[in-house]
Amino acid sequence: MDTSNPAAFVNAELLRMYVGRRVRAVIQVLRNDGGSIFGKSTDEQELVVKGHPPNPPTTFVEVIGIADSNRSIQAEIWTNFGDNFDVSSYNTICQLANGDFKHLFI
Amino acid sequence: MMFESSQFDSTPSFVSSQTADPSPSSAKTRDAQPMHPVTVKQIVEASSSDGDKSNFLIDGVSVYNVKLVGMVFDKTARVTDVSFVIDDGTGRIGCKRWVNDAQDTQEVEELTDGIYVRVHGHLSSYKGNKEIVLYAIRPVKDYNEIAYHFIECAHAHCSNTKLQKNGSVTLASSTATTPNNGQQAISSSQVSQDYSMDGLGSIGKLVLDYLQLPTSSAKEEGIHRNEIAQKLKISQEKIIEAMESLESEGLVYSTIDECHYKPVSA
Repeated sequence: MDTSNPAAFVNAELLRMYVGRRVRAVIQVLRNDGGSIFGKSTDEQELVVKGHPPNPPTTFVEVIGIADSNRSIQAEIWTNFGDNFDVSSYNTICQLANGDFKHLFI
Repeated sequence: MMFESSQFDSTPSFVSSQTADPSPSSAKTRDAQPMHPVTVKQIVEASSSDGDKSNFLIDGVSVYNVKLVGMVFDKTARVTDVSFVIDDGTGRIGCKRWVNDAQDTQEVEELTDGIYVRVHGHLSSYKGNKEIVLYAIRPVKDYNEIAYHFIECAHAHCSNTKLQKNGSVTLASSTATTPNNGQQAISSSQVSQDYSMDGLGSIGKLVLDYLQLPTSSAKEEGIHRNEIAQKLKISQEKIIEAMESLESEGLVYSTIDECHYKPVSA
Protein backbone atom coordinates (compact mmCIF):
# COMPACT_ATOMS: atom_id res chain seq x y z
CA MET A 1 0.00 0.00 0.00
CA ASP A 2 1.79 3.06 -1.23
CA THR A 3 0.94 6.34 -2.94
CA SER A 4 4.42 7.84 -2.83
CA ASN A 5 5.23 7.33 -6.49
CA PRO A 6 2.17 8.16 -8.58
CA ALA A 7 2.31 8.69 -12.34
CA ALA A 8 0.20 11.70 -13.27
CA PHE A 9 -2.00 11.54 -16.35
CA VAL A 10 -0.66 14.17 -18.74
CA ASN A 11 -1.08 15.61 -22.18
CA ALA A 12 1.49 18.03 -23.65
CA GLU A 13 -0.07 21.02 -21.93
CA LEU A 14 0.11 19.36 -18.50
CA LEU A 15 3.55 17.81 -19.01
CA ARG A 16 5.29 21.11 -18.23
CA MET A 17 3.92 21.02 -14.67
CA TYR A 18 5.63 17.70 -13.97
CA VAL A 19 9.21 18.14 -15.21
CA GLY A 20 11.37 15.81 -13.11
CA ARG A 21 8.38 13.80 -11.92
CA ARG A 22 6.61 10.60 -12.92
CA VAL A 23 3.96 10.86 -15.61
CA ARG A 24 1.89 8.70 -17.94
CA ALA A 25 0.75 9.73 -21.39
CA VAL A 26 -0.68 8.19 -24.53
CA ILE A 27 1.18 9.07 -27.72
CA GLN A 28 0.16 8.59 -31.31
CA VAL A 29 3.34 7.41 -32.97
CA LEU A 30 4.43 9.53 -35.93
CA ARG A 31 8.07 8.50 -36.25
CA ASN A 32 10.12 5.81 -34.55
CA ASP A 33 13.89 5.74 -34.81
CA GLY A 34 14.28 2.83 -32.38
CA GLY A 35 15.75 4.97 -29.61
CA SER A 36 12.93 7.44 -29.32
CA ILE A 37 9.47 8.06 -30.62
CA PHE A 38 8.19 11.27 -32.06
CA GLY A 39 4.50 11.47 -31.66
CA LYS A 40 1.37 13.39 -30.94
CA SER A 41 0.00 13.85 -27.45
CA THR A 42 -3.73 13.50 -26.72
CA ASP A 43 -4.00 17.30 -27.00
CA GLU A 44 -2.40 17.08 -30.43
CA GLN A 45 1.02 18.53 -29.78
CA GLU A 46 4.36 16.97 -30.66
CA LEU A 47 6.24 15.12 -27.96
CA VAL A 48 9.44 13.10 -27.87
CA VAL A 49 9.59 9.91 -25.86
CA LYS A 50 13.05 8.51 -25.17
CA GLY A 51 13.89 4.95 -24.22
CA HIS A 52 13.32 1.62 -25.90
CA PRO A 53 9.98 1.60 -27.69
CA PRO A 54 8.15 -1.69 -28.27
CA ASN A 55 9.04 -3.35 -31.53
CA PRO A 56 6.87 -2.77 -33.42
CA PRO A 57 4.86 -0.06 -31.67
CA THR A 58 1.14 0.15 -32.40
CA THR A 59 -0.40 3.44 -33.56
CA PHE A 60 -0.97 4.41 -29.94
CA VAL A 61 1.49 3.70 -27.14
CA GLU A 62 1.27 4.50 -23.48
CA VAL A 63 4.43 5.59 -21.74
CA ILE A 64 5.08 5.80 -18.03
CA GLY A 65 8.26 7.60 -17.13
CA ILE A 66 9.87 10.80 -15.99
CA ALA A 67 9.04 14.11 -17.63
CA ASP A 68 12.49 15.38 -18.57
CA SER A 69 11.43 18.60 -20.25
CA ASN A 70 8.15 20.22 -21.20
CA ARG A 71 8.32 18.43 -24.55
CA SER A 72 9.89 15.07 -23.70
CA ILE A 73 9.49 12.02 -21.49
CA GLN A 74 12.14 9.49 -20.49
CA ALA A 75 10.12 6.29 -20.69
CA GLU A 76 10.38 3.40 -18.22
CA ILE A 77 7.35 1.36 -19.22
CA TRP A 78 5.84 1.16 -22.69
CA THR A 79 2.52 -0.45 -23.46
CA ASN A 80 1.06 -0.88 -26.91
CA PHE A 81 -2.45 0.51 -26.82
CA GLY A 82 -3.42 -0.73 -30.29
CA ASP A 83 -4.53 1.07 -33.40
CA ASN A 84 -7.95 2.11 -32.21
CA PHE A 85 -7.95 4.46 -29.30
CA ASP A 86 -10.32 7.14 -28.10
CA VAL A 87 -7.90 10.04 -27.72
CA SER A 88 -10.48 12.54 -26.53
CA SER A 89 -11.65 10.41 -23.56
CA TYR A 90 -8.08 9.96 -22.47
CA ASN A 91 -7.44 13.67 -22.84
CA THR A 92 -10.51 14.37 -20.70
CA ILE A 93 -9.09 12.12 -18.00
CA CYS A 94 -5.81 14.07 -18.13
CA GLN A 95 -7.77 17.26 -17.49
CA LEU A 96 -10.01 15.82 -14.75
CA ALA A 97 -7.04 14.18 -13.01
CA ASN A 98 -5.26 17.51 -12.84
CA GLY A 99 -8.34 19.61 -12.18
CA ASP A 100 -11.46 19.08 -10.11
CA PHE A 101 -10.65 15.45 -9.33
CA LYS A 102 -6.94 15.80 -8.63
CA HIS A 103 -7.38 14.55 -5.08
CA LEU A 104 -8.55 11.16 -6.38
CA PHE A 105 -5.35 10.77 -8.36
CA ILE A 106 -2.28 12.45 -6.92
CA MET B 1 -18.54 6.23 -24.22
CA MET B 2 -18.71 3.17 -26.36
CA PHE B 3 -18.73 0.64 -23.59
CA GLU B 4 -21.44 -1.70 -22.59
CA SER B 5 -21.14 -2.48 -18.96
CA SER B 6 -21.98 -6.08 -19.63
CA GLN B 7 -18.71 -6.34 -21.45
CA PHE B 8 -16.89 -5.97 -18.15
CA ASP B 9 -19.28 -7.06 -15.51
CA SER B 10 -20.49 -10.48 -16.44
CA THR B 11 -17.99 -12.99 -17.60
CA PRO B 12 -18.45 -16.64 -16.77
CA SER B 13 -15.29 -16.64 -14.67
CA PHE B 14 -16.65 -13.87 -12.49
CA VAL B 15 -19.84 -15.77 -11.79
CA SER B 16 -18.09 -19.01 -11.01
CA SER B 17 -15.50 -17.40 -8.78
CA GLN B 18 -18.24 -15.89 -6.68
CA THR B 19 -19.57 -19.27 -5.78
CA ALA B 20 -16.10 -20.65 -5.31
CA ASP B 21 -14.97 -18.06 -2.80
CA PRO B 22 -13.78 -19.83 0.33
CA SER B 23 -15.15 -17.29 2.80
CA PRO B 24 -18.86 -18.08 3.08
CA SER B 25 -19.33 -15.58 5.90
CA SER B 26 -18.63 -12.69 3.59
CA ALA B 27 -20.68 -14.00 0.69
CA LYS B 28 -23.93 -12.60 1.98
CA THR B 29 -22.53 -9.20 2.73
CA ARG B 30 -20.96 -9.09 -0.66
CA ASP B 31 -24.13 -9.83 -2.59
CA ALA B 32 -25.92 -6.95 -0.92
CA GLN B 33 -23.09 -4.52 -1.62
CA PRO B 34 -22.58 -2.44 -4.73
CA MET B 35 -19.29 -2.56 -6.63
CA HIS B 36 -17.52 0.79 -6.19
CA PRO B 37 -15.17 2.08 -8.88
CA VAL B 38 -12.17 3.53 -7.01
CA THR B 39 -8.57 4.61 -7.38
CA VAL B 40 -5.82 3.14 -5.20
CA LYS B 41 -5.35 6.57 -3.64
CA GLN B 42 -8.96 6.57 -2.47
CA ILE B 43 -8.47 3.15 -0.87
CA VAL B 44 -5.27 4.20 0.87
CA GLU B 45 -7.01 7.27 2.27
CA ALA B 46 -10.15 5.37 3.26
CA SER B 47 -10.74 5.07 6.98
CA SER B 48 -12.15 1.93 8.48
CA SER B 49 -15.42 2.44 10.23
CA ASP B 50 -16.09 1.31 13.79
CA GLY B 51 -12.95 -0.78 13.94
CA ASP B 52 -14.53 -3.24 11.53
CA LYS B 53 -11.56 -4.18 9.46
CA SER B 54 -13.52 -5.09 6.36
CA ASN B 55 -15.64 -1.94 6.34
CA PHE B 56 -14.15 1.23 4.90
CA LEU B 57 -15.45 4.71 4.24
CA ILE B 58 -14.77 6.42 0.93
CA ASP B 59 -16.43 9.81 0.37
CA GLY B 60 -18.34 9.09 3.58
CA VAL B 61 -19.93 6.01 2.05
CA SER B 62 -19.31 2.55 3.39
CA VAL B 63 -17.42 0.57 0.76
CA TYR B 64 -16.88 -3.18 0.69
CA ASN B 65 -16.64 -4.24 -2.94
CA VAL B 66 -14.34 -2.35 -5.27
CA LYS B 67 -13.29 -2.41 -8.90
CA LEU B 68 -9.99 -1.10 -10.20
CA VAL B 69 -8.01 -0.96 -13.42
CA GLY B 70 -4.24 -0.96 -13.28
CA MET B 71 -0.96 -2.66 -14.02
CA VAL B 72 0.22 -5.90 -12.42
CA PHE B 73 3.54 -6.02 -10.57
CA ASP B 74 5.36 -8.44 -8.26
CA LYS B 75 3.20 -11.46 -9.03
CA THR B 76 3.81 -14.29 -6.59
CA ALA B 77 2.12 -17.64 -7.14
CA ARG B 78 1.57 -20.06 -4.27
CA VAL B 79 -0.33 -23.34 -4.12
CA THR B 80 -3.57 -21.86 -2.82
CA ASP B 81 -3.35 -18.26 -3.91
CA VAL B 82 -1.73 -15.75 -6.19
CA SER B 83 -0.83 -12.32 -4.95
CA PHE B 84 0.38 -9.27 -6.80
CA VAL B 85 0.48 -5.51 -6.56
CA ILE B 86 -1.80 -3.40 -8.71
CA ASP B 87 -0.55 0.03 -9.78
CA ASP B 88 -3.20 2.31 -11.26
CA GLY B 89 -0.94 5.36 -11.49
CA THR B 90 -2.38 6.83 -8.28
CA GLY B 91 -0.70 4.29 -6.02
CA ARG B 92 -0.05 0.62 -5.38
CA ILE B 93 -1.99 -1.90 -3.35
CA GLY B 94 -1.62 -5.62 -2.72
CA CYS B 95 -4.17 -8.03 -4.20
CA LYS B 96 -4.80 -11.65 -3.41
CA ARG B 97 -6.74 -14.22 -5.44
CA TRP B 98 -7.55 -17.56 -3.87
CA VAL B 99 -7.11 -20.41 -6.31
CA ASN B 100 -9.61 -23.23 -5.90
CA ASP B 101 -10.30 -24.81 -9.24
CA ALA B 102 -9.05 -25.10 -12.79
CA GLN B 103 -10.85 -21.98 -13.90
CA ASP B 104 -9.22 -19.92 -11.16
CA THR B 105 -5.86 -21.34 -12.15
CA GLN B 106 -6.44 -20.35 -15.75
CA GLU B 107 -7.41 -16.85 -14.67
CA VAL B 108 -4.21 -16.29 -12.69
CA GLU B 109 -1.95 -17.96 -15.25
CA GLU B 110 -2.75 -15.19 -17.69
CA LEU B 111 -1.27 -12.67 -15.28
CA THR B 112 2.19 -11.36 -15.96
CA ASP B 113 3.98 -8.33 -14.60
CA GLY B 114 3.34 -5.19 -16.62
CA ILE B 115 -0.07 -6.07 -18.09
CA TYR B 116 -3.20 -4.05 -17.48
CA VAL B 117 -6.02 -5.79 -15.65
CA ARG B 118 -9.46 -5.00 -14.36
CA VAL B 119 -10.03 -6.49 -10.94
CA HIS B 120 -13.11 -6.94 -8.80
CA GLY B 121 -12.75 -7.73 -5.13
CA HIS B 122 -13.40 -6.67 -1.61
CA LEU B 123 -11.37 -4.48 0.69
CA SER B 124 -9.71 -6.17 3.56
CA SER B 125 -7.15 -5.35 6.18
CA TYR B 126 -4.32 -7.69 6.98
CA LYS B 127 -1.78 -6.84 9.68
CA GLY B 128 -2.79 -3.19 9.46
CA ASN B 129 -2.26 -3.10 5.70
CA LYS B 130 -5.19 -2.77 3.34
CA GLU B 131 -5.40 -5.27 0.55
CA ILE B 132 -7.97 -6.44 -1.96
CA VAL B 133 -9.22 -10.00 -1.94
CA LEU B 134 -10.20 -10.59 -5.54
CA TYR B 135 -13.21 -12.33 -7.02
CA ALA B 136 -12.20 -11.77 -10.61
CA ILE B 137 -9.24 -10.66 -12.69
CA ARG B 138 -9.48 -9.88 -16.37
CA PRO B 139 -6.73 -8.63 -18.64
CA VAL B 140 -7.62 -5.33 -20.31
CA LYS B 141 -7.89 -5.85 -24.06
CA ASP B 142 -9.44 -2.53 -25.04
CA TYR B 143 -7.33 0.22 -23.52
CA ASN B 144 -10.20 2.70 -23.63
CA GLU B 145 -11.29 0.84 -20.53
CA ILE B 146 -8.65 2.75 -18.54
CA ALA B 147 -10.15 6.17 -19.26
CA TYR B 148 -13.61 4.67 -18.83
CA HIS B 149 -12.72 3.37 -15.37
CA PHE B 150 -11.38 6.70 -14.14
CA ILE B 151 -14.38 8.57 -15.52
CA GLU B 152 -16.51 6.11 -13.57
CA CYS B 153 -14.45 6.85 -10.42
CA ALA B 154 -14.97 10.59 -10.89
CA HIS B 155 -18.68 10.07 -11.43
CA ALA B 156 -19.06 7.89 -8.33
CA HIS B 157 -17.11 10.44 -6.30
CA CYS B 158 -19.45 13.20 -7.53
CA SER B 159 -22.62 11.33 -6.68
CA ASN B 160 -21.36 10.29 -3.24
CA THR B 161 -20.13 13.74 -2.26
CA LYS B 162 -23.27 15.38 -3.65
CA LEU B 163 -25.29 13.03 -1.52
CA GLN B 164 -23.49 14.37 1.52
CA LYS B 165 -23.73 18.04 0.60
CA ASN B 166 -27.47 17.61 0.33
CA GLY B 167 -27.49 15.75 3.60
CA SER B 168 -27.53 17.21 7.06
CA VAL B 169 -25.73 20.47 7.72
CA THR B 170 -23.34 18.97 10.25
CA LEU B 171 -22.26 16.30 7.84
CA ALA B 172 -21.74 18.76 5.02
CA SER B 173 -19.63 21.10 7.13
CA SER B 174 -17.48 18.38 8.61
CA THR B 175 -16.62 17.01 5.18
CA ALA B 176 -15.91 20.49 3.88
CA THR B 177 -13.10 20.97 6.36
CA THR B 178 -11.69 17.49 5.90
CA PRO B 179 -12.50 16.50 2.34
CA ASN B 180 -10.51 13.26 2.26
CA ASN B 181 -11.27 12.17 5.72
CA GLY B 182 -14.24 9.91 6.18
CA GLN B 183 -14.00 9.79 9.97
CA GLN B 184 -17.69 10.44 10.45
CA ALA B 185 -19.20 7.21 11.54
CA ILE B 186 -22.03 7.38 9.08
CA SER B 187 -23.33 4.48 7.10
CA SER B 188 -24.66 4.94 3.62
CA SER B 189 -28.17 4.24 4.80
CA GLN B 190 -27.92 7.07 7.31
CA VAL B 191 -26.66 9.37 4.62
CA SER B 192 -29.57 8.62 2.35
CA GLN B 193 -31.92 9.16 5.24
CA ASP B 194 -30.40 12.55 5.98
CA TYR B 195 -30.55 13.25 2.33
CA SER B 196 -34.27 12.76 2.06
CA MET B 197 -35.18 14.37 5.36
CA ASP B 198 -32.92 17.28 6.15
CA GLY B 199 -31.62 18.48 2.82
CA LEU B 200 -34.91 20.12 1.87
CA GLY B 201 -36.15 23.54 2.75
CA SER B 202 -39.05 23.67 5.17
CA ILE B 203 -41.47 24.34 2.32
CA GLY B 204 -40.07 21.44 0.36
CA LYS B 205 -40.63 19.21 3.34
CA LEU B 206 -44.26 20.40 3.75
CA VAL B 207 -44.92 19.87 0.05
CA LEU B 208 -43.41 16.43 0.11
CA ASP B 209 -45.44 15.48 3.18
CA TYR B 210 -48.60 16.70 1.47
CA LEU B 211 -47.83 14.72 -1.68
CA GLN B 212 -47.17 11.63 0.38
CA LEU B 213 -50.53 11.74 2.17
CA PRO B 214 -52.58 8.67 1.24
CA THR B 215 -55.34 10.90 -0.15
CA SER B 216 -52.79 12.60 -2.43
CA SER B 217 -50.85 9.59 -3.58
CA ALA B 218 -54.08 7.78 -4.46
CA LYS B 219 -54.62 10.23 -7.31
CA GLU B 220 -53.10 8.80 -10.41
CA GLU B 221 -52.51 12.14 -12.14
CA GLY B 222 -50.77 13.58 -9.07
CA ILE B 223 -51.56 16.88 -7.40
CA HIS B 224 -51.77 20.28 -9.08
CA ARG B 225 -49.29 22.69 -7.57
CA ASN B 226 -52.05 25.32 -7.13
CA GLU B 227 -53.87 22.88 -4.89
CA ILE B 228 -50.71 22.46 -2.80
CA ALA B 229 -50.32 26.25 -2.58
CA GLN B 230 -53.92 26.61 -1.47
CA LYS B 231 -53.86 23.80 1.08
CA LEU B 232 -50.54 24.81 2.60
CA LYS B 233 -51.32 28.55 2.39
CA ILE B 234 -48.02 29.28 0.71
CA SER B 235 -47.57 31.61 -2.26
CA GLN B 236 -47.54 30.03 -5.72
CA GLU B 237 -44.07 31.39 -6.48
CA LYS B 238 -42.64 29.69 -3.43
CA ILE B 239 -44.40 26.45 -4.32
CA ILE B 240 -43.03 26.59 -7.88
CA GLU B 241 -39.56 27.15 -6.46
CA ALA B 242 -39.95 24.26 -4.02
CA MET B 243 -41.31 21.96 -6.75
CA GLU B 244 -38.32 22.71 -8.95
CA SER B 245 -35.89 21.89 -6.22
CA LEU B 246 -37.75 18.73 -5.24
CA GLU B 247 -37.80 17.69 -8.87
CA SER B 248 -34.09 18.30 -9.34
CA GLU B 249 -33.42 16.27 -6.17
CA GLY B 250 -35.34 13.43 -7.77
CA LEU B 251 -37.93 13.34 -4.99
CA VAL B 252 -40.98 14.26 -7.11
CA TYR B 253 -41.85 14.04 -10.78
CA SER B 254 -44.39 15.79 -12.95
CA THR B 255 -47.19 13.69 -14.41
CA ILE B 256 -49.84 14.66 -16.99
CA ASP B 257 -48.44 18.17 -17.39
CA GLU B 258 -45.82 20.28 -15.67
CA CYS B 259 -48.24 21.43 -12.97
CA HIS B 260 -49.18 17.99 -11.59
CA TYR B 261 -46.72 16.19 -9.35
CA LYS B 262 -46.34 12.86 -7.64
CA PRO B 263 -43.73 11.88 -5.06
CA VAL B 264 -41.17 9.30 -6.13
CA SER B 265 -41.78 7.29 -2.98
CA ALA B 266 -45.25 7.43 -1.52
